[in-house]
Amino acid sequence: MTVMIGEFSLAMAMLAAAGALLAALASIRLEMPAALKVARWMIGALAGLMLLASGALLTALLQGDFSISYVTEYTEKALPVGYKIAAFWAGQEGSLLLWSLMIAVMSALHVFNRRDQQGTEGATVVAVLAVVCGFFAALMLFAANPFALAEHVLADGQGLNPLLQDPAMIAHPPLLFLGYAGYTIPFAMMVGALVSGRKDNNWVAETRRWSVVSWLFLSIGILLGAQWAYLELGWGGYWGWDPVENASLLPWLTGTALVHSIMVQQQRGMLKLWNALLFSITFILCLFGTYLTRSGIIQSVHGFAPSMIATFFLVLILATTVFSLMLILVRRHQLQSEHQLESLVGREGMFLATNVLLTGIMVVVLIGTIFPVISNALSGQEVTVGASFYNKVIAPFGLLLAAMMAMGPALVMGTDAARKLVRAMIVPVIFGLLTAVAIYLTGIKNGWALLCAAITGTLIVSYLINLVKQVALRIQAGENPLAAFVHLLDGNHRRYGGQTIHIGMMMMIVGITGSGLFVEKQDLSIKEGQSAQIAGYDVKYEKLIERRGPNYKAVQATIVVTDPKGGVQTLYPETQFFDKTTQPHSQIALESNARRDLYINLSAWEANGAVVAMQVIINPLVSWIWVGGIVLSVGGLISLLPRLLPLPASEQVEPTVPKPQPAKSKKRGTAVA
Amino acid sequence: MVKMRIKVVVTAAVLLGAIGYLAVAGMKTGWVYYMDVAKFVDNGQFYAQRVRLHGTVAKDGFTSSAATMTAHFSLTAKDKSLPVVYRGPIPDLFEAGKDVVVEGKMDNGEFRADVLMTKCASKYEAKKAEHKS
Repeated sequence: MTVMIGEFSLAMAMLAAAGALLAALASIRLEMPAALKVARWMIGALAGLMLLASGALLTALLQGDFSISYVTEYTEKALPVGYKIAAFWAGQEGSLLLWSLMIAVMSALHVFNRRDQQGTEGATVVAVLAVVCGFFAALMLFAANPFALAEHVLADGQGLNPLLQDPAMIAHPPLLFLGYAGYTIPFAMMVGALVSGRKDNNWVAETRRWSVVSWLFLSIGILLGAQWAYLELGWGGYWGWDPVENASLLPWLTGTALVHSIMVQQQRGMLKLWNALLFSITFILCLFGTYLTRSGIIQSVHGFAPSMIATFFLVLILATTVFSLMLILVRRHQLQSEHQLESLVGREGMFLATNVLLTGIMVVVLIGTIFPVISNALSGQEVTVGASFYNKVIAPFGLLLAAMMAMGPALVMGTDAARKLVRAMIVPVIFGLLTAVAIYLTGIKNGWALLCAAITGTLIVSYLINLVKQVALRIQAGENPLAAFVHLLDGNHRRYGGQTIHIGMMMMIVGITGSGLFVEKQDLSIKEGQSAQIAGYDVKYEKLIERRGPNYKAVQATIVVTDPKGGVQTLYPETQFFDKTTQPHSQIALESNARRDLYINLSAWEANGAVVAMQVIINPLVSWIWVGGIVLSVGGLISLLPRLLPLPASEQVEPTVPKPQPAKSKKRGTAVA
Repeated sequence: MVKMRIKVVVTAAVLLGAIGYLAVAGMKTGWVYYMDVAKFVDNGQFYAQRVRLHGTVAKDGFTSSAATMTAHFSLTAKDKSLPVVYRGPIPDLFEAGKDVVVEGKMDNGEFRADVLMTKCASKYEAKKAEHKS
């Protein structure tokens, strides 16, 4: 029954997509607004059908319908309910269904939210979304059917890969796919604006919400993936520059560039051509990741089985690339800049530099990822590049980008921006240098660490000074301090949301720098009741026991760690033996605080626990990455929220103009002077 | 305003040039040949340098001691094989018959590896075969 509902929904979804496309095209050709209305309803129906198909798969997973191959491959009866749900996206077919569902629902949300948008632009947006939705429906019907029947119906399924039985894995794929799916909408809006010949820049402002939301989902998705790798893969790292990881980083880099450059187009009518390219590239990179991992052209530790869907994706990628380039070429007159750049170190100049850097880094990561293919084509010999290749580029330019973030609030428009920037940055830079000196005095003499400390100090003081100045201006205007603070933040969600995101990013950079530079790893082999030393920590092995979990049994070691200051922690690393697989699975033990992570991976034991072997890692500042991620998410939410409080009396001077948006840039200029 | 355009182009070129320069420098240090064991054994030209090899762990002569964190095994591909000594933490999925990737260098007729990665398939291919049989 679920199979019938599922497959029927997918088939109908494909028809709905075709119908939406035809109706949208008809509405342009025949100038029939009614046809566009039909097309919108078709998109709505498509979203409903995808929901139905997803519901069918979810029901099958929860009920344990082992007549479906997907259910058999990824679940078992004893699997906890949470992981039965997570099995939805544990495999390729389910992941594609989830991705399709998200694109369809987001498309429907967008087209109904913008049902006022008539004529060519509205119809083009619907048509583009219909093509993408139709592609995914066809993909599942012809190449990756989640409802395919099992060859042999088994009494119980094969269970979920133990590596995937982790809370981070429940949330990581959906968030990543929300990000990927989200970038479809701004792309469609860009195509709509270009095809219809729209000359104003308001559409760019309208893409902002989707661009920020997608960016936020993608960021959190990537972070959760890193956290999962850290907790489950047992090598003590959160990022391995594996092709699969890089694939998600590529659209993030261009997406980050995009949220900055659309502001320049919105406010100054510049960078139009560049933005059109970025919208296309980001959307294409979202697809490229799937192509890369499923095509088998790149050897990855993740080793997905090569699959037919790669061909589908390649066709869509090539078609999108050719279409976007043609469109941009044909409409290049529409994309001419309205202003000239006034200063290199002004706001637009710095945003442009940010874009150049982020795109440059994206190209480097892309080349590194596909280097085995490039080298094979050039010399017939595969060459891989390791982490050192990426780190060499990312470390200096990551810090340069951080330094540019620190200048954020001090950047203004106009020809004397350079002078103003220097004046505003003197005090923050002094504080930054003092921070570096303070860190140096604690005994840390690594140049990268000191540079990172200096930038962190500069950024915090730079943002604080700006905030205090703005609050002071309002207090002078007669507000009480609390009201001044609240109204300032509420009146500038985008600005302070953005700054919060920057602070989160800076925390992550601190965490990455600290853990990257000062990690201590040691493989220890300890006899029962004895202890070993690592980096001032005393690691004592007490005993080894066996215990039973819901669908596994485990051998667990009791390790007592005494830190250099005398604090005592007990950790329980274990090796789990799942009922449904022959592979043992190491579950690391972690004790985390703001200064460092204590990470123990039980590798083996001999003679009934007389000796255990384990890897002990003292990893400084890792928690800063995760906390930074939370700060970043909060910042993203702030920047998306509309104004919450009614306008304060002091700002209600011109009731005829409710939203003085373009005036913001002027305010910024005066604030720093 | 032509002057500004030149400034922009020069700045962009400097930034991209710096990225490119570092990428090339990083390429030199991070550069590792990747091939299967058969190709490595067939021509000795890669014996002097660090390489990354993939192959299957042979069942004969497989020893893996967790206490000393050492594994001895033959890595095979297309009826060619190579003795490998690996030192380091033993991955969970490592056992005879697995497809693995090792990185290291030849030393005294043995391949000394310090990186060992097992291919963790997203599905249970082995398990599936079991059910079918």
